[in-house]
Amino acid sequence: MDHLTHDEFFIKLAELFSSRKNKDHGKICLTQKRFSYGQDIPEPSAADHFPDLNVDGPLPVLVRASNGKSKPRRADKVKLSTVVEPSDLDAFYGRYAEVCKSGMLALKPRDRTKRKAKAKKKKGGAQQAAVAS
Amino acid sequence: MPYYEKSEDWLRESALLLQARPATVRSRRRPLLLASRPLTNTQTRVTTKYHLKPARRLTKEQKALAKQQVAAVPTKPPRGHLLLKTFDPQSGVALKYKTSKAAEVTRLVQMLGTLGRRMAALPEVAGAGQQHDEPMLDAEAAAAGSGTQTPVPTAASTPAAGTSGQGPQPGGGGKGRKKKGKR
Repeated sequence: MDHLTHDEFFIKLAELFSSRKNKDHGKICLTQKRFSYGQDIPEPSAADHFPDLNVDGPLPVLVRASNGKSKPRRADKVKLSTVVEPSDLDAFYGRYAEVCKSGMLALKPRDRTKRKAKAKKKKGGAQQAAVAS
Repeated sequence: MPYYEKSEDWLRESALLLQARPATVRSRRRPLLLASRPLTNTQTRVTTKYHLKPARRLTKEQKALAKQQVAAVPTKPPRGHLLLKTFDPQSGVALKYKTSKAAEVTRLVQMLGTLGRRMAALPEVAGAGQQHDEPMLDAEAAAAGSGTQTPVPTAASTPAAGTSGQGPQPGGGGKGRKKKGKR
């Protein structure tokens, strides 16, 4: 499958997240790794065991997303992928964070009840101290 | 393989792993066990899995109740969790972090961004890795900056900054004070 542009990728990723909205099961997998295909990284040799440690310039990063459907439900599988050039990394991850945050709705929201209880306790404690003195 | 309790620890170890093994391309000294496996997909990769689970299975009695009075049993929203995993297929190292807090998502994706920089063989952002609180602020500022560049997510990013900043104080000062209070 061809790689998508960033815009297409984010639109489809948002669709993928919204397809799990209000559902009580499912999974979304996001993967990232160095995109080394066709980048002319030499084979390891006796002299240089790890040629990938000393690459000449920055390399792109491959980002993938899928809904994790496999064998019996292969037909329903959604696979998205995009290649991020090193210069676009910051902008990409900024948007990525936004999409993930708005998509991952089943996570626990920030719990504010504890903090409120603490504040009350503190207030109560201060009053008691004032009374004691 | 370990689950880390703090996301910072996971980030640090993952960054070290990526530094040591950014792309484990064909090595001549492959272990025998792995020799039969195909050589595709051998870069160290970071996987983020977002799982959804039903809230809680109903017991038989509850199910019977639910059948009798359709709207009486309150339904809980589904639970989700997020699993981050750095995996090096060559050595089999897997570093994991699991969370179910929505508040952490933005920070974690920023961490993915820093690991992405490692993968791209870009130099680290200055100051990152030495102090733990500083890069987080930088990263969030960068996120806000990139948000303003792209027209769509701007509206979403500003309320997020408002909630994390807590009130009229500028984000940076508020953050530091809050963290001190937590510890």
